[in-house]
Amino acid sequence: MSSYISPIREPLVTGNKTYHQITEDLASPTEKAPGRAWIIGFILAISMLAFGLFCIAWTVWHGIGTWNLNRTIGWGWDITNFVWWIGIGHAGTLISAILLLFRQKWRTGVNRAAEAMTIFAVICAALFPGIHVGRAWVVFYFFPYPNTRGPLWPNFNSPLLWDLFAISTYFTVSLLFWYTGLVPDFATVRDRAKGFRKKIYNFLSFGWTGSAKHWQRWESLSLVLAGIATPLVLSVHTIVSFDFATSVIPGWHTTIFPPYFVAGAIFSGFAMVLTLMIVTRKVLNLQDYITFAHIESMNKVILVTGTIVGVAYLTELFIAWYSGYVYEQFAFFNRALGPYWWSYFGMMFCNVISPQFFWFKKIRRSLFWTFLLSIVINIGMWFERFVIIATTLARDYLPSSWSYYSPTWVEMGIFIGTLGLFFTFFLIFTRVAPVVAIAEVKSILKSAGDQYTGPNAHAHGHGHSHDHSHAVDAGNDLSHNDDANSSTGTILTMEDDLKKLEGIGPKIEKTLKSAGIKTFQQLMGSEIANLQTILDEGDGNFTGNSPESWPQQAKLAFEGKWDELKDLQDRLDGGKY
Amino acid sequence: MRTFEFTNRLRITLLVGIAIGLICLGLTWFSASDDGFHSRFWSNVLHNSAFFTMISALAAFFLAASVTAWAGWYTVFKRVWESMGLFLLFGLIMMGLIGLSVYMGWNELYHWNDATSVENDQILDGKKGFLNKGWYFFGTLVIVGAWYFFATRFRALSLQEEREGNGNDFQLHRRLRFFAAAYLPVFGFTMCAMVWLWIMSVDAHWYSTLFAWYTGASAFVSMICLTILILNYLRNRGYYQNVTTEHMHDLGKLLFAFSIFWTYLWFSQYMLIWYANVGEETGYFHTRINEYPILFYGNLIINFLVPFFVLMRNDTKRKMGSLTFVAAIVLLGHWVDYFQMIKPGVAHTAHEIAVQEAGGHHGAETKQLGAHDHGHDAHGHDKGSHDHGNDSHGHDAHGHDGHGHGHGSFNVGFSIPGFLEIGTFLGYLSLFLFFVFTSLSRSSLTSEHDPFIEESLHHHV
Repeated sequence: MSSYISPIREPLVTGNKTYHQITEDLASPTEKAPGRAWIIGFILAISMLAFGLFCIAWTVWHGIGTWNLNRTIGWGWDITNFVWWIGIGHAGTLISAILLLFRQKWRTGVNRAAEAMTIFAVICAALFPGIHVGRAWVVFYFFPYPNTRGPLWPNFNSPLLWDLFAISTYFTVSLLFWYTGLVPDFATVRDRAKGFRKKIYNFLSFGWTGSAKHWQRWESLSLVLAGIATPLVLSVHTIVSFDFATSVIPGWHTTIFPPYFVAGAIFSGFAMVLTLMIVTRKVLNLQDYITFAHIESMNKVILVTGTIVGVAYLTELFIAWYSGYVYEQFAFFNRALGPYWWSYFGMMFCNVISPQFFWFKKIRRSLFWTFLLSIVINIGMWFERFVIIATTLARDYLPSSWSYYSPTWVEMGIFIGTLGLFFTFFLIFTRVAPVVAIAEVKSILKSAGDQYTGPNAHAHGHGHSHDHSHAVDAGNDLSHNDDANSSTGTILTMEDDLKKLEGIGPKIEKTLKSAGIKTFQQLMGSEIANLQTILDEGDGNFTGNSPESWPQQAKLAFEGKWDELKDLQDRLDGGKY
Repeated sequence: MRTFEFTNRLRITLLVGIAIGLICLGLTWFSASDDGFHSRFWSNVLHNSAFFTMISALAAFFLAASVTAWAGWYTVFKRVWESMGLFLLFGLIMMGLIGLSVYMGWNELYHWNDATSVENDQILDGKKGFLNKGWYFFGTLVIVGAWYFFATRFRALSLQEEREGNGNDFQLHRRLRFFAAAYLPVFGFTMCAMVWLWIMSVDAHWYSTLFAWYTGASAFVSMICLTILILNYLRNRGYYQNVTTEHMHDLGKLLFAFSIFWTYLWFSQYMLIWYANVGEETGYFHTRINEYPILFYGNLIINFLVPFFVLMRNDTKRKMGSLTFVAAIVLLGHWVDYFQMIKPGVAHTAHEIAVQEAGGHHGAETKQLGAHDHGHDAHGHDKGSHDHGNDSHGHDAHGHDGHGHGHGSFNVGFSIPGFLEIGTFLGYLSLFLFFVFTSLSRSSLTSEHDPFIEESLHHHV
């Protein structure tokens, strides 16, 4: 990772944190008794879950007839909820895998919670295929084993089967990814814990000692998992979209479904991450770790994916007309102007129009608007699935079988139950594990902490030999020190890193050192004309470089006046005045 | 070396390349293998113009996306993307000329542009609102003009930044970000319309919602290939020494990842159409698999298998030999991809219209014909004489839907690219490079005042 951080970048860890403070801030929520807000939330979530379980029991006991499905409407709220939950899971995988590959540092603030959310959302989603078959006791028909029941009761044999594999793979990899990240953090919690708690965390952290070898393996594993998870981000929702698009139902059979479902999934996933994290950061006091920079980045992702979804909606609509295929044309006419027009316009407004507010920086950085719009988008993405499923099925080819679908209390109850399940899991998660990845935040502190970068940067080595970093040049090992009395000061006379001066790159440094100028002290005493001669005679073309500012820069560097040097370098132009 | 010197030698080499292209285009026009509508000539012009226009538009697009995403790594060589984006000027001229030719009815590239066919074809008639010559010509001018406007803004702000510096508040960079962000949705929406109009509508009856994204992904991969090739050439010439293996490695990763992404889109489009097997849609692939098998399978092999297996390893992305090899092959592969998008449709249209002119109003009902004519100057032939030498196969494609694709025969220039096509490609490529090098030679190669320049200079993966 680049150790040079552009001055234009915003810090991602604020509050001038030290490593110890980070540990304190992030591990402490797992060590305290829960607050009142948590208890109220937990009771609420558990109650919703209980009602959901009651509705599921009701469905199994009385049969699927307790839902309002009928002749043509084989899927209603069940698969709508299924797709919605699967979609929400996508943000976690995207943040942990793709953003890791893209070296996005802001992912560290939210990846842990987003990955947890992925796992809980997939659990909620996986419930629906299980119960929507009606006879839950024959759910093993899902699996591709030799059929012993003859042609009347075949095994699943369609993209729905692919779904089974896609989702179980996705769940497994997400769980591994999440848990891998948790291991060092569990070890941190373990080291602070006592008694029985220590035993539990000791078990959970797999004997992590934090040795270099552990870290090395941990990092390789993270990269490997990121590599595996990246295609999964695409594949899972692609295969969910195949459930629809491989059919010949007008409105379902369209080639853009796979990438558009993926974009929509990321869109809704980020909305859910924001909904959760805006509350969590407030309740757990994580404002220094989930900053406005994080929120703004996520809002930008929402704006991008929302607009991609918008392009896809309009493409579908346009191509339906363009195709000249009357059934396709009717399907879209029916969506927009049929009996379910409200859900179509709800979808359009929530998913395409509402994210456009994020073009304004003020709204991107407003907690109120972000929270509000994240809820609106969650609703909109639920509408999208409802539009695709219910409105299409309610009016098929045969007008005599047209009907209007609305859910029964049982179907609504199961949805409420999954919300309860999701929040129950999430609330427990905030108690037992650090909500923000401690180790990962620490890994970006030196490059993205507000004492190192951004307008308030001031730190550049406080005499700690490992702490020699400042905004321009964090983390390289310096052979000199601003504190002449420090232990590292003895190396001062040996050789300096001349590249720290603007206008000097590795080649020029080599040229200068071969000419005997090895330290800042030597450089500050050199004549500019002499330096020019060295350059001219040097091995390489340095016609664009001028040494005019080097002695002055070297003097500041030798005296350890790094702030002044930085100011000077800001004014310089490639080392020239 | 901070500025690129466009040497006379290189200039002459590229001018020779352009001349070869022009000669090949001329030969195509007069060659015996072209039909009475000069379908081979016009489809070659359309193929290359659309291909390079999309490449330059996507260079501007990726630059804009990188600026918007606060990416830093590419900054040292951002001039290359700026210059590639500026080639949209030629895109505007070339697509404008094709628009003009469509408007004036100089060719039969598009079935929907033939008044008799539209009259007799309910499907084509239904599409008149979108597929019409006025929208083609003026829509292309306005939309490509808008893309070009953004490309010039990116360049102008970047040069201004170079001259005036960026100051402490990075005012110029913020303005650049404004234009970059605005270009993203503008391009995102209009690109689809242009791709449908220029390319999808050569198969005027067919439709696929994914097509525009698929075409865009193809052009994106080609753009990355060209970037790798140009950078590597310049690095070998002693320029861009600050573009390190790390940058090339990242470009290699993009090439690898987006080749897979392209394959993903290819698969999504193909598999869904194959699985649903709706007659209106399968015709497209049916034609390609049965009558253009080399293009169909070659496309997939070159553009997926080659980058996937060669670039999977870490070291092949860091060694310039393997990286440029893959970039060159894949660039050619995506050129073939565009070829297979355009040629079968054009050949079919020429056939339909030739039959119609020869035998009256057949419209889409050509399957009545037992034999077919590839249109070697189809004017003057009547229905009975569709048996030119190499070209006397029956219609095995006919019968699965109402719009037979009567080109079972092997025809260089349509079934596979011939020497004339390769020569035309060289011409366009030389023109593209001539333009990019000219633009590169007009400013420093690396923008020193970009706020991300230090990150890019010290980029390390």
